[in-house]
Amino acid sequence: MSNNKLAVITGASKGLGKILAEWLSAQNYDLIITARGADLLAQTASELQTENITIHSLVGDVSDANHRAEIASIVQSYGQLDLLINNASTLGSLPMPTLAEYKIDALKNVFNINVIAPIALVQVLRPYLSNGLVINLSSDAAVGGYASWGGYGASKAALDLASITLANELADENIAVVTVDPGDMRTDMHQDAFPNEDISDRPMPDVTLPFWAWLLGQDRELITGQRFQAQAELWQVQS
Amino acid sequence: MKREALVFDRPETLAATRPIIERGKTKDDIRLMVSSSSGHHHTVFANLVDYLQAGDVLVVNNSATLPASLPAQSKLGEFRLNLSTNYGHGLWLAEPRWSFSESGPLPVQKGDRFSVGNVSGRFIATFPNLPRLWFVQFESAIESIIAQIGEAIRYSYVENRYELSHYQTVFAKIAGSAEMPSAAYPFTDKVVASLKRKGIQIADITLHTGVSSLEVEVDTIEDHALYPEPFCISEKTAQIVNKAKADRQRIIAVGTTVVRSLESAWDSQEVKAVSGFTRLYIHPKIGVNVVDGLITGLHDPVTSHLAMLYTIVGEKRIKEDYQEAVKEGYLWHEFGDSHLILRS
Repeated sequence: MSNNKLAVITGASKGLGKILAEWLSAQNYDLIITARGADLLAQTASELQTENITIHSLVGDVSDANHRAEIASIVQSYGQLDLLINNASTLGSLPMPTLAEYKIDALKNVFNINVIAPIALVQVLRPYLSNGLVINLSSDAAVGGYASWGGYGASKAALDLASITLANELADENIAVVTVDPGDMRTDMHQDAFPNEDISDRPMPDVTLPFWAWLLGQDRELITGQRFQAQAELWQVQS
Repeated sequence: MKREALVFDRPETLAATRPIIERGKTKDDIRLMVSSSSGHHHTVFANLVDYLQAGDVLVVNNSATLPASLPAQSKLGEFRLNLSTNYGHGLWLAEPRWSFSESGPLPVQKGDRFSVGNVSGRFIATFPNLPRLWFVQFESAIESIIAQIGEAIRYSYVENRYELSHYQTVFAKIAGSAEMPSAAYPFTDKVVASLKRKGIQIADITLHTGVSSLEVEVDTIEDHALYPEPFCISEKTAQIVNKAKADRQRIIAVGTTVVRSLESAWDSQEVKAVSGFTRLYIHPKIGVNVVDGLITGLHDPVTSHLAMLYTIVGEKRIKEDYQEAVKEGYLWHEFGDSHLILRS
């Protein structure tokens, strides 16, 4: 078994997840990357592969308990997980309906993928996360109250609270948990949210790289329980 | 604001090519142009006190300069690695160059290895929209290597290699800057004593500067990419600044790094004690809330620093100041002349 650190990144085949996977592969992390689409995931894995690291690609949906068990089984073979990045998420029904008219089954699905799945992953990976960091990807929609963003936004608000709660609950096990709003980026998801708009004025997701460099350089006990904005003018740890 | 707004003519000869001490003078012999709403005065830095008032608060940067330029080797042969910003755990933002005088870009690929002394490292990724800057990961501690074989970063307009002591200001306390926070270069103990005698307070912040930024290349200056810098404002300095603002005293920043720090710590009511990284880019659309004036060097054409100066006293005044500076033969760059810019 290699001496490399190990990271799990969900939704890693494109967009921000892929940028994070590229960053960590260059940092010689072994990676478990997941996504629903097999072809794109395989292509991403081959792009990331270097002679220094092992990449495990797992096709599946984070809301599927079997898929999560597959992730856990690889992590178990390492015995230690340094980084869990819950990046996979869904906007829900498109175009995004108002909460007043949201189909309840579709809304449950949004919460399953965006809230329940990240919590469930923390549960199954908890035995291996001592001294590790969990990063949950949030959104400004979690605090915005924007019309028609209620399904996605409420799920991210719930994820924010789950993150802070987990940070408190898991502090004794030296598991740090943060939540990060990456800001608007030129991604497929952002285009889905604004289907007829030109989003070329939004920055590419690599605009957040310096933030991830900074975040991963901080002492875990100083950042746990915090919510960060990657494109904010100021990154600081609460004193 | 359009890029053209930052363009002006500066003869290349108006560059300070060596420390003033090497010219047989003292630092406070450096020329000082004072500009206010009533026009320009030409003097020397030793007389700074004459242009300030009792109650003014001068805020200085106490960051000390690192010997941040390292000789490095890779399959490309020898090159220089100019460190810019420490991200912790051996990760730095850095600028690989062919030599002091010859910039890159070097044909570097992500994952390429290099060595500095007996420490090896890897190129990780370029900085978004600033491809000359690379995140590099050192595989073991680099601090002692920096101390042993690092030199102060210098560019082609500086004639010789000078000891690191030439790159420290009188306020330098905490090492971490890639390049000297040079606005404070002309301060001497004598100048500091004269300020204190008059009842001018001096408070400090820390901002570790990165490598010099290059010309703005995009058409709209707000789109220019700036990199973040680590900074810290203490509870004590925040209190001094807030009390002075409440008493309607002037806050005068010594250097653009101090402006960036103070404005980053402004929470729309007051300045907060902060420790973190700032991405703040000060340009006329953003405005400033804390500073009433600035002591700084003379800035190159088409740089983001000029946009900051425009923000404080307006484009028209800075353009007049710079015409005056060129006419009077002021010298640019880190060992060059000084400029006190007062809003009123």
